[in-house]
Amino acid sequence: MAEEFEPRIVAFLCKWCSSAGADLAGVSRMEYPPNIIPIQVMCSGSVSPLYIFSALSHGADGVLVSGCHPGDCHYIKGNYYARRRLALVKKLLEYIGLEPQRFQMSWVSATEGLKFTQIIKDLVRELQPLGPQNKLRRKF
Amino acid sequence: MVSLEQLKEEVKKILSSGNIKYFIGYENFSSGWQVRPAFIRKPEDVDRLVWTPACFHNLVRFLHDEKRRRAREKNPDTRPVGLIVKGCDSRAINVLIQEKYIERKDVYLIGVSCELMGVIDELKLKRHLPGLKPRKILFSPKETIKVITDDDKEIEIEASEILADRCLECPANFPVVADIILGEKIKKKVTSPYQSISPYEKMSVEERWSFWQEQFSRCLRCYACRSVCPMCYCDECVADSIVYAVTADTTAEEKAQKIKWVERNPEPSENTFYHLVRAIHLAGRCVDCGECERVCPVEIPLRLLNKKLEKEARELFGYEVGFDASQPPLIACFRDNDPQDFIR
Repeated sequence: MAEEFEPRIVAFLCKWCSSAGADLAGVSRMEYPPNIIPIQVMCSGSVSPLYIFSALSHGADGVLVSGCHPGDCHYIKGNYYARRRLALVKKLLEYIGLEPQRFQMSWVSATEGLKFTQIIKDLVRELQPLGPQNKLRRKF
Repeated sequence: MVSLEQLKEEVKKILSSGNIKYFIGYENFSSGWQVRPAFIRKPEDVDRLVWTPACFHNLVRFLHDEKRRRAREKNPDTRPVGLIVKGCDSRAINVLIQEKYIERKDVYLIGVSCELMGVIDELKLKRHLPGLKPRKILFSPKETIKVITDDDKEIEIEASEILADRCLECPANFPVVADIILGEKIKKKVTSPYQSISPYEKMSVEERWSFWQEQFSRCLRCYACRSVCPMCYCDECVADSIVYAVTADTTAEEKAQKIKWVERNPEPSENTFYHLVRAIHLAGRCVDCGECERVCPVEIPLRLLNKKLEKEARELFGYEVGFDASQPPLIACFRDNDPQDFIR
C-alpha cells in the first residue's frame, strides 16, 4: 500500500488560548495527528504576514494561525487586528494561485482541546489530497 | 481645462512670497513629448513648468527625500514644499498624513483636476502610433488627446484608447486635498472600477499560479517598484538585506543576526516572496498611482496585485484609500463585525 502523504503544518498558536488549548488536548490524552509544528506566539495579532510567507517558503505544506475568540483577547484587541490583516493575506495568497486550504485561521480557547484536535484532523484531511506544497518553497 | 498660465501664475505668486522652500512640477526634457519632474526654486524659472497628458509621475515620492534631508541637517529649512498633485497623488498625501509621516503644513499643494481625462500610458501610445514619432502631446478641449508627430502631423486620439488603465478606473479624478485646485472638479463616471482584475479572478487556482509565475520569473529584482513608490519610505526594507541601517556602533554579530526574510537572488521563488511582501505592505495604502507598473523594466503588471487588495479592503472592510486623512489606516483599526467566515 502506498504511503499516505503526511503534510507538515506550521501552527502559530496564541500563548493565552490556543497554546493552552493544545496543551489541554495533550494532557487529556486526546488523539490528533502529529503533523503540526506548533510555534507559540504572544498574540495572534503579533503574527506578521511575513511569518506566513516565510513558513511557506521554508517548505510548510500548510499554515494555521490560531488565536482567542473575538472579545477574549488577552491584549483586548489583538485578535481583531489579526483577523483583518490575515483576511487580506488569505485573499492575496489565493490570488497569487496558492490553494486556499494551505492557509487557515481558527479561534480556539484554552478550554477547547477537543475543537483543537478536530481542527488539526480536518486540516490534515484537507491537505493530504493536495500533496506537498512546492509553489512557494525556496528552490535553490 | 487646466490653464498653464494660471498654474505658472500661482507658482510664481507663492514662490515670490517666500512661503515655500521650492516647488516641484513638470518640465519638458530632450526634444520629445516626455516630461520630467522639475524643481523650481526661483520665481523667474516658472516658465519651465508644463502640464500635458504625459505628466504621469507621482511627485509625492520626493517628500521622502525632503524628510530625510531635514533629519540630516542641523538647522533645517522647515518651510513647506510646494508640489503639483493630481487626484491619485493627493490621495497619497492623505495616506502619508494618516500615517503621520508628514504633516499637512509640510506641503503646499496645487491640485490639478484631470477632468474626465487623465494621463497617458507610454506603452499604449507606442502601440497606437506604430512607426510614428510623437513630438508633442496635448490635452484638447474635446475630450481627446492631440498628438503632434515629428513630421508635423496632428492626430486626435480618443482619450480612452491611450489613457493609463488606472485613469480609466480612477475613483476620483480630482484632488481630494489641495490648497488651490485648478480646473473643474468633475467626477468621471466609472462603470466597472475593477475591470482590469476581473479576468484573473475568474481563472482557476492553477491558471492564476502559472500566470503569476510567468510574470514573477521575469523580475530582475531591480527594486525600481520600491524606489518609485510614494508609500515605500522605510529606511530598512524587510525584503532587501542590504539596506539595513548600519551605524558605526553596529557590531558584526548584530549584522549577522539580522533576519533575512527573503534572499536577493532573482529566483522565481524569491521573486514571488518579494512581490507578496510588497503587495501586502501596500494593502490599504496603495493609492493606485500606477508608478510601480510604469517603471518596471520587464513590464510585470504590479497594479493588478495592488488593485486586488484595494478591492478586498473595500469589499470586506468598506475602506477606501486616501480619502480621509483623519481616519486610521486600514490595518491599524478594526470593526467588531469584520467578516470572519474564513475562520474556523
